[in-house]
Amino acid sequence: MWEGDELLGMYWQAIIPLWVVLFPIFMTPAIFILSKRSEKLRDGLSVLTAVITFFSVASLYPFVMEGKTIEYTLFQILPELGVTVRIDILSFCLAILSSFVWMMATIYSLDYMKPEHGKNRYYPVLIFTLGATLGIFFAGDFFTLYVFFELMSLVSYVLVIHEETPTALKAGYKYLIMTIIGGLALFFAIIATFELAGSVSLSKGVLVSKPSTLAFFAFVCYLIGFGMKAGMFPLHVWLPEAHPVAPSPASALLSGIMLKTGAYGMLRVLFYVFNIEVVQSARWDLLVAVLAVITILLGSAVALTQFDLKRRLAYSSIGQMGYVLLGMILFTEQGLVGDIFHIFSHAFMKSTLFLAAGAIIWKTGLRNINDLAGIGRKMPFTMGAFTIAALAMIGIPPLNGFLSKWTLSLGALEAGLPIYVVILLISSLLNGLYYLPIIIAAFFGGEEQEHAHGEAQHVEAGINLRGEATAKMVIPMVILGLGCFFLGLFPSNIAYELSLKAAVFLFRGGM
Amino acid sequence: MNLNYEHLPVIIVALLLLAAFLEPIVYRHKKSWAAPLVIASMAFFALSSLYLMAAVNYHGPFNYYLGGWAPPFGIELEIDYLAVFLLLTFSVIGLIAIVYGLQDLKHGLKDEVLGWYFTLYLLLMASMAGISVTNDLFNMYVFVEISAISACAIISIKESRECIEASLKYLILSTLGSGCILLATAMLYMITGHLNIGYLNDVLPRVMSHYPNNILISLGFFVVGYGVKAALFPLHVWLPDAHTAAPSPSSAVLSGLVIKVYAAAFLKVFLKAYPREIFLEIPVMEIVLFLSVLAILYGSIVAMVQEDIKKMLAYSSIAQIGYVFLGFSLMGQRAVAGGLLHIFNHAMMKSMLFLAAGIIIYSTGIRRIRDMKGLGVKLPLTMGAFTIGALSMVGIPGTNGFISKWQLALGALDLGRPIIVVVILLSSLLNCLYYMPIVINAFFGVKGEPELEIGKVPGVMLYSILFLGFGIIFFGIYPAPLLAFLQKTVTAIL
Repeated sequence: MWEGDELLGMYWQAIIPLWVVLFPIFMTPAIFILSKRSEKLRDGLSVLTAVITFFSVASLYPFVMEGKTIEYTLFQILPELGVTVRIDILSFCLAILSSFVWMMATIYSLDYMKPEHGKNRYYPVLIFTLGATLGIFFAGDFFTLYVFFELMSLVSYVLVIHEETPTALKAGYKYLIMTIIGGLALFFAIIATFELAGSVSLSKGVLVSKPSTLAFFAFVCYLIGFGMKAGMFPLHVWLPEAHPVAPSPASALLSGIMLKTGAYGMLRVLFYVFNIEVVQSARWDLLVAVLAVITILLGSAVALTQFDLKRRLAYSSIGQMGYVLLGMILFTEQGLVGDIFHIFSHAFMKSTLFLAAGAIIWKTGLRNINDLAGIGRKMPFTMGAFTIAALAMIGIPPLNGFLSKWTLSLGALEAGLPIYVVILLISSLLNGLYYLPIIIAAFFGGEEQEHAHGEAQHVEAGINLRGEATAKMVIPMVILGLGCFFLGLFPSNIAYELSLKAAVFLFRGGM
Repeated sequence: MNLNYEHLPVIIVALLLLAAFLEPIVYRHKKSWAAPLVIASMAFFALSSLYLMAAVNYHGPFNYYLGGWAPPFGIELEIDYLAVFLLLTFSVIGLIAIVYGLQDLKHGLKDEVLGWYFTLYLLLMASMAGISVTNDLFNMYVFVEISAISACAIISIKESRECIEASLKYLILSTLGSGCILLATAMLYMITGHLNIGYLNDVLPRVMSHYPNNILISLGFFVVGYGVKAALFPLHVWLPDAHTAAPSPSSAVLSGLVIKVYAAAFLKVFLKAYPREIFLEIPVMEIVLFLSVLAILYGSIVAMVQEDIKKMLAYSSIAQIGYVFLGFSLMGQRAVAGGLLHIFNHAMMKSMLFLAAGIIIYSTGIRRIRDMKGLGVKLPLTMGAFTIGALSMVGIPGTNGFISKWQLALGALDLGRPIIVVVILLSSLLNCLYYMPIVINAFFGVKGEPELEIGKVPGVMLYSILFLGFGIIFFGIYPAPLLAFLQKTVTAIL
């Protein structure tokens, strides 16, 4: 690790985190101002910003693959507390994933949002949230992380309530209150850590190495703060309300990426604030494990009872985040690989599913699962992508969901906890129960039904692929769906390599 | 050492008093000069405070003997870090409020009382400056009286029924408070023969064991006296009516500054005059801590059910003054610095919120929160500033409210009291519950609402709240110099 100014001279990569955080944030007012002039310019600039951000993040790839880490302080806000930048393999994993999915969702938005109102608000907020989210991943201490975490959570409120219907406003209010509660819990946790350790930096090794009452409360508050964001039981209540009411590309990002910030935060807490010995010796991991198991089973079970397509997907997200929470508490290297890989997998799967659901809603106006019979024949690409992602959710080989479940199970066995494998299998079964009927009905059911309404509505919006949504919507969806396929086809793909490296890195002490 | 500036504190107070009494004459004979005069006096106040701040920061604190009479016989002014910090806070916020007020008052006040309003405003400022710099308990009492009477007159200046009622309530309670302060001062004079804070601090440890009753009574009277004036729970009952009834710029000053000056006076008396050992034997600070916790919770809960926006802001002030007392009564380095920081931060936030509410009332006539749907579209800058203030009240990072809460919470943890942190967080949540619905209603879900009638907003009013909004963000991102200064302040006090 290098300190201070000389590193800026040595490694131009040190600038990139700053660039990818500040560039979208500074583009926000530009997009907002341009939106008054021309819609085309606004759309183009939004996509351009997302694309440039993605490639900037990607350019860090060779650097982090060499196993290098950079950390430096930009300026101090309070004594011992500053804005710190950090690049390591874990932050790279999450950042590259986020910026990629964000790019896809932004392209998808172009046509999806056309009939919507308030686009001049939507695009700036979308791009701003990208910057804030990347800020979370490139933060070098918990204080900076907290600042960006709050920024992202608050700004994405505007995405949640975009429709401004009474339902959306109600869901948004719930979201806002839960966000503030989570934020305050994090505030307590961070301040308690600061009191115990005198620092909240990620570069100091283990900050709290002795369990104490205050340390326990700090741990619980971290769990509340990050678990709330990750949709952990019993703090998930906002999620099934907020994710379905948002516009579909925003739902894809909320479910696919922003949930992961909670998981990312928990990973940092488990390996940087405390460490395996502290958490295991004080048996705090039991708390997380129990909550994670309940989250998995509850999310999957309740998803069965939902008949609104997007609500079912939202509950499914809760279940899947349970996997991620469970994986990190196994404390085995294999388990951690599976954990980080599942973050990748779920981001791809869930954003594909939400984008596909969005395309169906956009095209036909149908949200109820019972009405979707025969839709696969009308929209083969959309339902094809949906099917790949749904099968991956269930864990069918050779899709990425299978690979993550396989690795997680190996990790659970390595930790000597075969019970978790059983839970994974039960949950897979439940996933099958609620995803397969949709697919079967879409392709093989409803011959007699005709979906007349809403057909001719958006024809002028672009190329019409046999009743499909426009190309700008189908292509991102298909790319993400193919991602689910290719990231599971070989057990040595780029996402898996990154996960492996990140897991080893964390186990070595994460320095 | 170059001490040209040493007369400045006296000049400030004297000049403000002089300008105050000139105002009615000027207003009668040369109406157009009245407003420039008050602005010029306030600008002088602000600039000289800035100069004093720089001078004290550079050369260190100094004492000034009024008329050359050395204490214990003469009146001593102590211009330490605390004094210049308070002077600067009061003068800058006071200047902004009156610049804003020139427009708003023409709208809200009868023409013939405007000159008197300026008089009262300058008197209030002079007394606050006096309280900040004086090192003499009786002198402080005199300034406390001046400020109480001028505040009372400012509240009643609209001469409507509720204004008179509110100001009468304030007058009675505040006189009670003044009486307590005078009695407590007398008790201390009785046993020590001194009124000077420094001398009291020297003599009290020697005599306190002989006169335990005097000490006890004086402590009680000081708590009640300054508690009433600073609206510390449960002595707050006058505040909501008074701050709601006053014209908006006065509400901003009353809520943002006037209650703070008594909190600062409380700090001066308790931590500078009394020796610290007293608080080990008499748990008066524990009582104040308990009251401030109750104030924080009570103010926030009651604010939630208010319908009038100014009343809501007034109840929120009760909670926020609780933070200041909380910091002081913990008596730790960080905690006291947090309390002082909150004086500054809350002065900015609350005056900004009151001024924003003033703009809303000025241009639409709406006071009820429920009717404010869709205001964000009509008054985007005003509601944007209001949003910044609201976020700062909740304590979102990036705003100065976060920095105060951080400092106070850390101060509480330093002293091993995590439960205080929980109170602070709980109150933040409550703040969110009553501030955020206003913001949400203003900006979102406005389709199909009836159009609001919006009058024109004068630029000066808008710029003043935008300036304060900028300050909130600035001190949320770059509080380091301020904190370093407060660190020095606190080290000097404790």
